[in-house]
Amino acid sequence: MPLEPATRAVRTGLVAFAFLAYLILIGVPGKIGSSALPVLALISALFFWLTLRRESAVLSTTATGELPAALQNKPGWEIGPKGASGLSRVQGFLTSITGITVVLKGLLAGCTTGLLIAVLSGASATAIGNGVSIQPVFDKIVPVNLAALIGVSPGQIAQAEVPFARFVLQFLFFGGAGLLAALVVAGAKSSQLQAAQPARPIARFTGPTTVNVVRYTGIALPFLLLAYIAWLGLPGVSVFGSNEGTVRLFITLIATGSGQFALRLSKPGRERTAVSVLLGLGVLAMPFILDQFQNSVMGLVFIFVMMGLGLNIVVGYAGLLDLGYVAFFAIGAYTYAFLSAPFSSPYISSLLIHLGVSPESPLLGYWMALPVAMLTAAIGGILLGIPVLRMRGDYLAIVTLGFGEIIRLFMLNLGELTNGPRGILEISQPALFGLSPSNVTFGMLSSQGWIFLLALTSSALVAFVAIRLNDSRLGRAWFAMQEDEDVAEATGVHLVRTKLLAFAIGATFAGMAGQLYAARQINIFPENFSLFVSIDALALIIVGGIGSPAGIVLGALALKGLPEVLRGVDEYRIVTFAALLVIMMIVRPAGILPSARRRIQVSDPNELGPDSDGVLDEEAAQLQAAGVAESAANGQEEAV
Amino acid sequence: MTSSPATAQAAGTDGRTALKQFTRALGAAILLLVIWRVTTVGLSEGYPASFWISQALNGLVLGGVYALVALGYTLVYGILFMINFAHGEVMMIGGITGYFALQFAQARGWMEGPWPVVVVALLLIMFIGMAASVLIGVTLERLAYRPLRQAPRLVPLISAIGASLFLQYSVLLIFGVSPHSYRKPALISGGLRLGDVFIPYTGAIIFVTSIFLMLALYFIIQRTKLGRAMRAVAEDRSTASLMGVDVNAVIVVTFMLGSALAGAAGVMLGFHNTVVKFNSGFIPGLKAFTAAVLGGIGNIPGAMFGALLLGLIEAIGPSALGIPTEYKDVIAFSLLVLILIFRPTGLFGEVLSEKKA
Repeated sequence: MPLEPATRAVRTGLVAFAFLAYLILIGVPGKIGSSALPVLALISALFFWLTLRRESAVLSTTATGELPAALQNKPGWEIGPKGASGLSRVQGFLTSITGITVVLKGLLAGCTTGLLIAVLSGASATAIGNGVSIQPVFDKIVPVNLAALIGVSPGQIAQAEVPFARFVLQFLFFGGAGLLAALVVAGAKSSQLQAAQPARPIARFTGPTTVNVVRYTGIALPFLLLAYIAWLGLPGVSVFGSNEGTVRLFITLIATGSGQFALRLSKPGRERTAVSVLLGLGVLAMPFILDQFQNSVMGLVFIFVMMGLGLNIVVGYAGLLDLGYVAFFAIGAYTYAFLSAPFSSPYISSLLIHLGVSPESPLLGYWMALPVAMLTAAIGGILLGIPVLRMRGDYLAIVTLGFGEIIRLFMLNLGELTNGPRGILEISQPALFGLSPSNVTFGMLSSQGWIFLLALTSSALVAFVAIRLNDSRLGRAWFAMQEDEDVAEATGVHLVRTKLLAFAIGATFAGMAGQLYAARQINIFPENFSLFVSIDALALIIVGGIGSPAGIVLGALALKGLPEVLRGVDEYRIVTFAALLVIMMIVRPAGILPSARRRIQVSDPNELGPDSDGVLDEEAAQLQAAGVAESAANGQEEAV
Repeated sequence: MTSSPATAQAAGTDGRTALKQFTRALGAAILLLVIWRVTTVGLSEGYPASFWISQALNGLVLGGVYALVALGYTLVYGILFMINFAHGEVMMIGGITGYFALQFAQARGWMEGPWPVVVVALLLIMFIGMAASVLIGVTLERLAYRPLRQAPRLVPLISAIGASLFLQYSVLLIFGVSPHSYRKPALISGGLRLGDVFIPYTGAIIFVTSIFLMLALYFIIQRTKLGRAMRAVAEDRSTASLMGVDVNAVIVVTFMLGSALAGAAGVMLGFHNTVVKFNSGFIPGLKAFTAAVLGGIGNIPGAMFGALLLGLIEAIGPSALGIPTEYKDVIAFSLLVLILIFRPTGLFGEVLSEKKA
C-alpha cells in the first residue's frame, strides 16, 4: 500500500515531463530566453499543485467514509459501503499523516520530472555537440532553444562544453518545484481543516449588503471597462507601449462578455431593463471609439454571432447536426458579390453586356441585395433540407458536410461564374441614405467601424428573432422534434414543414452574415468558405452554451476574438486554442453560459442529447450507477 | 398551424410518404442522368480499355487506404457512437513517424541491401508508424474522450475537433511546415507492366497489405475472445459489463486497433504519394469518414466496401462523366448523398443503426 502513492507520484512526474518535453519541442524555451528554466519549473510547479490538490481532496473525502470511484480500477458493483470500509481505513490512516505524504509525493514527482528533463536536454546537447543533426527531425531543437533551457550560451552547446553542474541544477530546479507545490498544498490543507465548513452560504456570515455589493460590482464592471477603453482611445494614452491595440481589443472582448454576466446579475424587471439599455448604448458607442483593427475584429466576431444564432436554430433548437453550414454563408456572400461586383465574374458580365446593361457598376446596393441574399440562402437551405429529411444524427452530419464541400468546390472550379480561386474583387461596402464609408467618413466612424455597427445591429435583430422563435409554437415544435421525432409527429408536429423551416431560417441568417462578410472583406475567395467556418460556428455555439443567445455571444468572443488577441504569440495561437477547446469541453461540457434547458440536459445523465434513444439512455444510467471511474474524477476536476 | 392534432398528424404522415416518393423520384432522375451522361459523353471519348483498367486499379489502391482509415472510424463509432474527428491526424502521425524511421533506415544503408533486408526494414518502418499511431490514439482516448463519455454527443465531437487541430499544429510546430518527402527504395520504386496497364509496386503492395490487414481485423473481431468482447460492447455496453467484460479495456483496445490500421495507412500513403506534412491526414480522413458512412457507420464490412466503392468512383467518375478531375470530391460527396437518399443508413446499415444514429 505505501508503494501506491509513490507510483502515483512518479506518474505525475512523468506526465509533467511529457508536457514540458512538448513545450521544449515546440520551442518555448527559446522564446522565453534566459529565464526559461525558472519559468518551466514554475509551470511544472503549477501542474504538481493542481494534481496534488486534487489527490488530497480525493483522500480527504475518503477519510469521511465515502470512497470515490476514481481510486478503484474495479467494476462499479464492488463500490459500496461494504467494499469501501476496509480500504477507507487504510486511506484514512494515510490522510492522517497527509502532510508528510504530500511533501514526499511532491518531491518524488518533481525529482522524476527533473531527472528526465536533465536526461533529455543532456542527450540532445551531447548529440548536437557531437555534430549529430537533430534539427531536421525536431524542427525546434536548436542550440539556442537548448541553451535557454540549460542556461548556457548557444556556442557552448555547439562546442559540447556544457558543465555537468548545469544538469544537476535542472534536476534541483524541478525537484524544488515539486517540493514547493507540495508544501503549498499541505499548508493550504491544514488551514482548510481549521475552517472545515464549506464556504457556500457567504450571505449568512456577511449579510445581504455584501451580496449586493458583489452584485453591483459585477453589473458595474462592463461599464468601467467601457470607460477604460474610451480612455485608452484618447490621444496620448498608452499601455505597454506598442501592444496598445491588442490590449484594447482584449478589454473590449472582456467588456462585451462581462456585459452578459451583468445582465444575468441584474434583477429582472426595471433594473434589468435599465442595465440592458445602458449596455446596449455602451456597446453601440464602441464602433466610434475603437480603431480600424479592433473594429475589424469585433465586426468579424459579430458576423459569427449571427452565424452562431442561425446555426443554433438548426442544431440547438431543432437538433439537426449541420456540419455544412458554411454553404449558406458562402451563398449569401457570393450572391451579394455577384450583385455588387458583376464585373468580376466573366459569365455575369458577358451576360449583362448581352442584355445591354453596363456591368461596371453594382446591380443592387447593400440593402436591396439583402433580401435577395437571404432568399437565395433560404432556397439553398430548403434544397439541402429535402434530401436529408429522412436522415438522422451522424448521417445528417456527414451529408451536410459534403454539401458544404460541394458548394466550396463549385466556387473554386466554376471559373466562368465565380472567377475560381482568383475570387470576386471590389465588392462595394454598405451605404445608408446614400452615405457609404468610401465617400463619407462618419465623423469618427471608420469603414470597419461601420461594418461592426452593422454586424452589431443585425445580430441584435437576429437574436431578437431567434429568442421570439424559441418561445413560439414553432420553437416548441423544434424542441419536440429534437427530443423524439416519432413522438413529435404523433402529437401533431408536421415534421417535413418543421424541419425545412429550421433549415430555411438557419440558412437565412447565415446568408445575412455572409453578405456582411463579403462587404467586410471587399474581396472574397473560395478559401474563405472552407469547412473550418462551419466548425468554428459549431464550436462557438457549443463553447458558449448551446441554445442560449448570450452564450453564443460569449462563444464568438472567445473563439473569433481571442485568436486575434493571441496574435502576439502567433506561432502558438492555434495549438493553444485547440488545447483550450478540449479542456473547456472536459471542464464545462454545457458551455460557458448554458441555457437552463441545456444545463438540465447535461447534468442529467439520462439525456444524451439530440437523437438519442432508450438504448443510449439506459447505458448512460447504467454507467452512472456503476460509477465508471470518470464521474468522480470529473467532479473533482470541476471543483478544481 | 390551427389544425387539430389528428389532421396535422395525417398531414404529416402523408407529407412523409409523398416526400419519400419525391426523394426517390429525384434520386432515380439523377441516376438516369448519370447513366445518360456516361453513355453519351464518357464512353464516347474513346479511351482504350487499358485506361479504364488502370484507373480502376488506382481507385482500388486509394480505396484500400480509405478502408483502413474508415475501419478506425467505424470501430470507434460502433462502440462509442462518437465521430473520432482526429482519426485522420492519427493516420498522419503514423506517416510522419514512418518518414523518420525511413530516414534512419536509409542513413544505415538498409534500403540498398539485399531484398530480405529491405523487406524487413520496410515492415519495421510500418510497425513503427503503427506504434506511434497507437500511442497517439490511446492518449487521445484517455485525455480527450474518456472524460466525456457521458456528455451529450456534440461535446466529444467538439473535443475531437480540438484534438485534431492540436495534433495538426503540434506537428507543424515540432517538425516544421515543409513537406517531408519519402524516398522510395529501389526495390519498390518501379512497377509492373501488363500490356498497356501499368501497376506501380507501391500500389500493389498497398492493396495487398490493406486486404491482409482487413482480414486480420476481421479475424480478430469474429474469432477471438477479444473480438467477442468488442462485439458485445458494441451491442449493449451495460449488459456486456454485467457479463464481466471490462468495458474500458475494450474501448482502449478498439482505439488501438483503429489507430494501428490508420498508422499503417499513413505509412503506405506516404510511400505512395511520396510526401507527408502536418495536414496530409485531413482530406483522407474526411474521405474515409465519408466511406464509413457510405457503408453504414458502425458496420465493418460496410466500411471496407464503402471505401473501395468510393475509391473506384473517385478514380473512374471524372473520366466516365466527362468532367474535369477537380470535381472528383464533388462526385464522391454526391455519391454519398445519392446513396443516403435511397438508404438513409448507408449501404449496409441496419434498421437498428437508424435508431442509434
